[in-house]
Amino acid sequence: MSTEASRLRKLLMSNPLSVFGLVTTAVFVILAILEVVSFGKITPFSPYTPNFAQANLGPSVSHFFGTDFEGRDIFSQVIAALPIDMGISVAVVVVSALMGVVFGTLAGYFRGLFDEVIMRLTDMFLAFPQIIMSLAIAATLGPSLLNVTISLIVVWWPPYVRLVRGAVLAVAAEDYVSVSKALNSSFLYIVRKDALPNVLPSVLVYATTDIGSALLTLSTLGYLNVGIPASMPELGKMVSSVSYNLYLYPTQVIIPALVVMLMVAGFSFLGEGLRESLDVKLRPHILMRGRGIGKVEGGQKRIPGPIPALSNSAFPQAPRAPTLGETPS
Amino acid sequence: MLWAGPRARPETIKAVAAAYHLNDPLLNQLYYYFQSLLTGNFGVDPQTGRSILSEILFYAPNTLELVLASMVIIILLGVGLGYISGMRFGTKVDSVIRLFYLTTWSTPYYLGALVSVLVFASYIPIFPSGGNGAVGFTYNSITGIFVLDTLLQANWAAFESGIYHLILPATTLALLSFGIVPRIMRSSILDTRWSTHVKAARARGLEEGDVRRKHILRNALIDTTTVIATTFGWLFSGTIIVEQIFAWPGIGQFSYTAIVSDNYPVLVACIFVFTVGVIVANFIADIIYPLLDPRITLGEGG
Repeated sequence: MSTEASRLRKLLMSNPLSVFGLVTTAVFVILAILEVVSFGKITPFSPYTPNFAQANLGPSVSHFFGTDFEGRDIFSQVIAALPIDMGISVAVVVVSALMGVVFGTLAGYFRGLFDEVIMRLTDMFLAFPQIIMSLAIAATLGPSLLNVTISLIVVWWPPYVRLVRGAVLAVAAEDYVSVSKALNSSFLYIVRKDALPNVLPSVLVYATTDIGSALLTLSTLGYLNVGIPASMPELGKMVSSVSYNLYLYPTQVIIPALVVMLMVAGFSFLGEGLRESLDVKLRPHILMRGRGIGKVEGGQKRIPGPIPALSNSAFPQAPRAPTLGETPS
Repeated sequence: MLWAGPRARPETIKAVAAAYHLNDPLLNQLYYYFQSLLTGNFGVDPQTGRSILSEILFYAPNTLELVLASMVIIILLGVGLGYISGMRFGTKVDSVIRLFYLTTWSTPYYLGALVSVLVFASYIPIFPSGGNGAVGFTYNSITGIFVLDTLLQANWAAFESGIYHLILPATTLALLSFGIVPRIMRSSILDTRWSTHVKAARARGLEEGDVRRKHILRNALIDTTTVIATTFGWLFSGTIIVEQIFAWPGIGQFSYTAIVSDNYPVLVACIFVFTVGVIVANFIADIIYPLLDPRITLGEGG
């Protein structure tokens, strides 16, 4: 394990993209954690108390990012918003990835009706534009942190299911899995030993970049004043609350937005670096509805999407061994 | 409740319930729902009193104009940059292009739009800060798309104004949404560049230009088409922010005002229109697909 970890570290450090991503995300994660553990003590000023004598100041030594129209310190507001922005994005991606692993494995391993239902469900969700769908849900549920998380998860899980399902399908066709089945290995054993090790790198890489996308969408919801309660600080909401000051005091508007950009860039650079190091292929098909599902000889479904290595082989299904140890789907 | 407004009197709620058949059995309600949906009856905008369909028909062409203009920029720039980046793999040009598209992709829509308004309309005022340029011109609406209408009627002054107003929002929207296109393009160029069929083509003595165009570019475009179709979803999402900041009279701004004023009937209609847009985009990609990749055919025997 330690050699694995040191190998991963070496790979990450060899790529300037991922070094930048790693440093940036680490700084923001540490700041967010510090802010939570210290109960908001690390902010130099109170992010909420107005101080009209100090309104609309530019960036200076005492106020790093300046102050807004009510004289609140923007740096403190940014720090106070970090746990919410970071926490929700990470939670959305982690829950979606877990859902993806569970449903994707079940669908890819057992095929049949369950697979069909799950795939049509993901098709349905992928037809809606993400921001607009979560916006509608968040607007309907009303403002609360839990609701906004739910609204994001609802649109976030389908790509993970497709990613995992595709990988599990490929693994399930391998001879060693057939042998394992013939040896009466249980479903969970095969998943743990054969399927997951093949699936997790792609999920990890996709999820890292995806935290950035989740953050972008979350802050866009905040900018539209949807979902985030009025009392909570959120970076996108901060931008929209001062956006009418754009021409007079551009720094007030641009600095919080730049923080969002830096966080997203950190995650996507890290993901891109990881992808190169782990040599995971980009898979556009997981974002699409059932593309290229056609009948092939034997009446079996081809896996959707242009993965040349898999779709060309017309995907012969492994001869199914008697399913003794399996739980029925 | 929602339709009648947050502080409606009981009589109003009753009247609304009766008007929308809310006291009928669920199956009947479903029937009315589908009947209205299929006949394009989205109801009446409670804030303006006009029918939502007529409002959508006014706003949708403007959004289409913006989205299509962005799409053209995305296809040219995304495919071009991805191709250059892939063919010059490992060079400085490659790194600069990758840094560029990763950065624009990480930029929130509101930051990009606000900064471009600030820089190109305020500090260096070469572009107008908002609107679609139709104000002050008289023209017959044929398609509803301002630029296209004026072009068809050879109304050059209005056409120029339309293009002039279109450049900044379209470029902003395109640059902020296009990140995934050069990314996929680059990775599929890298996949095909060293594959055996390209080697075979070179071995047969084909000219380098032919090899690049017919064997590398064409193969790489297959995956890229898929991704360009998904970009439509991002573009539609982006219009909500970009249209609001650029004061562009389209569906995005219409739904933004609907959100901030709790106008649910309009919001539902807007989401429906956006969804139809994404489905149509996917459908078009499905049609283009077999043209690029002869291994995939529509229908049976694929």
